[in-house]
Amino acid sequence: MSQTLINAMADLEESVLVSEVNALKAQGVAPLEIIQNLQEGMNIVGKRYEEKEYYLSELIMSAEIFKEAAALIGGDLSGANAASHGTFVMGTIYGDIHDIGKNIVTTVMGCNGFNVIDLGVDVPTAEYIKAIQEHKPQVVGISCLLTTAFDGMKECIESIKAAGLRDQVKILIGGGPCDQTTADYVGADAYCKTAQDCVEYSKRLVNI
Amino acid sequence: MTSSTDLYTQRLARIKRAVAFEKQDRVPVVPLATSFCAHHLGIPISQVAANPELLTDTMIKSFTSLGEIDGVQQPTFSAHILSMAWLSKVKLPGIELPDNVSWQVAEQELMTVADYDTVINQGYNAFFGEFQASRLDNLMPRVMPMLVFAPTAMQLWEKAGIPVIAPIMGIMPYELFCGGRTMPRFMRDMFSMPDKVQAACDAAMPDLLTGLRGAAQMLKPYGAWVGGWRSAPEFLAPKTWNRFVWPYMKKMAELLLEEGVVPIFHLDSNWERELERFLELPKHSCIISPDHATDIFKIKQVLGDHMCIMGDVPAALTALGTPAEVTAYSQKLMNEIGPEGFILSSGCDIPFNAKPENVAAMIAAVQQS
Repeated sequence: MSQTLINAMADLEESVLVSEVNALKAQGVAPLEIIQNLQEGMNIVGKRYEEKEYYLSELIMSAEIFKEAAALIGGDLSGANAASHGTFVMGTIYGDIHDIGKNIVTTVMGCNGFNVIDLGVDVPTAEYIKAIQEHKPQVVGISCLLTTAFDGMKECIESIKAAGLRDQVKILIGGGPCDQTTADYVGADAYCKTAQDCVEYSKRLVNI
Repeated sequence: MTSSTDLYTQRLARIKRAVAFEKQDRVPVVPLATSFCAHHLGIPISQVAANPELLTDTMIKSFTSLGEIDGVQQPTFSAHILSMAWLSKVKLPGIELPDNVSWQVAEQELMTVADYDTVINQGYNAFFGEFQASRLDNLMPRVMPMLVFAPTAMQLWEKAGIPVIAPIMGIMPYELFCGGRTMPRFMRDMFSMPDKVQAACDAAMPDLLTGLRGAAQMLKPYGAWVGGWRSAPEFLAPKTWNRFVWPYMKKMAELLLEEGVVPIFHLDSNWERELERFLELPKHSCIISPDHATDIFKIKQVLGDHMCIMGDVPAALTALGTPAEVTAYSQKLMNEIGPEGFILSSGCDIPFNAKPENVAAMIAAVQQS
């Protein structure tokens, strides 16, 4: 356990974090342990976000630093998935090519210990179904920035149900025009206003 | 029968009374829509996306068929203009997208860190001239038809008896750079090289302000948008917002006021935390226009009778709701925020797939105000 690394992650101290990761590597600390320290720091970031000490800009910055640290660690991260809280499949629904919101959510989920399967943008229903069958996620996220995508979301969720997969996953929606009315309309389990909402919902689901 | 000139005058007076918090005969309604109008009239969006003349004609026909409106916000539109506002490419229906779906901004990192230096050393116009040519596929020839047509479009609306309240727009450096860099990159830039980002923002302002003043003096509009979307306080810590957003936004508004133009703060996402800052602007001189993500009733609490509020029938309601629901929400707005100091409108623009009967219900609601 490196408290220095945890604090550097939590405080978004990029230079301290980089030197500590390098130092831990040089000491032969296992990559998985370093990742767990980073995730501990990310938990603090999430808490500060909830307490409005941090905002989206800090969430994005934390994710960027986390990715940089993960790249530094490099090599064998195969053990990291073993520590995963669960699997999260996400994409922007077909008819919509906006990816920034989706990217923020997938990055923040990844940094918070979820194994993320990013399907990209303009994703057809068949790809969601295939990903659910293949990766067996606990949570599926569907995003959009256009109200014209609502019907696509609805169709996708209905098709997941028709494929007999609906009971196996919780489906979250999010994006600029979405609200609880939209979630009700498309048949989602919940609407997430922020990336952190998605993290918190998913963590509760897997009892973390 | 009232002439269109008289109608124009009456409607503009109604809008002016709303801004001045004077007693009203009824609440004015000033919707915002482009692609919806084409969808409403069954015109493929691919035909209007880059055809400002056809789109203006379509907007006028659509709105005048849905009831009596007191104004519109934009006189015309071309999807290419979004590239100027976002420093991003725009995908068009019928070209990169299917024929009858809305245009979409392609979120890509086209602006580099080195571009900050270009702005710092050469100003915004020199940067943008090169940027639009090399990274936006020579954008300006595609934007010019709309810019050239805008004064004519305003005359067409005037002939229809309908004022256009925001034919020009001020965009602060934050929004331009955030679009060009992409939101994650720009937010990281603000952490890792804040002084450079601020220097670029400062260096961009003279050209942006000169352009805004020139447009204000040429068109002499009633109002102008001051746009804020990714600069919303919900995304940024207070010290970041105070450094990179508010000083620039306020300066643009003050320039418009100097020119006798009403700043219309077109605000997407949630601005609740910083609403008190808008009290720094003169009383009864501006309009604040949230997109429904900011609690409009909270705006009323904070800004009281200081600033006219315009909004905010949400996109999801016009797309998914019923006319009765739209009427009920519109009446709630008029009763709790108006009738004085309030303009009924959509929250941001009416979406492509809004139900025409819902838009008609919003427009009709003011007759009972």
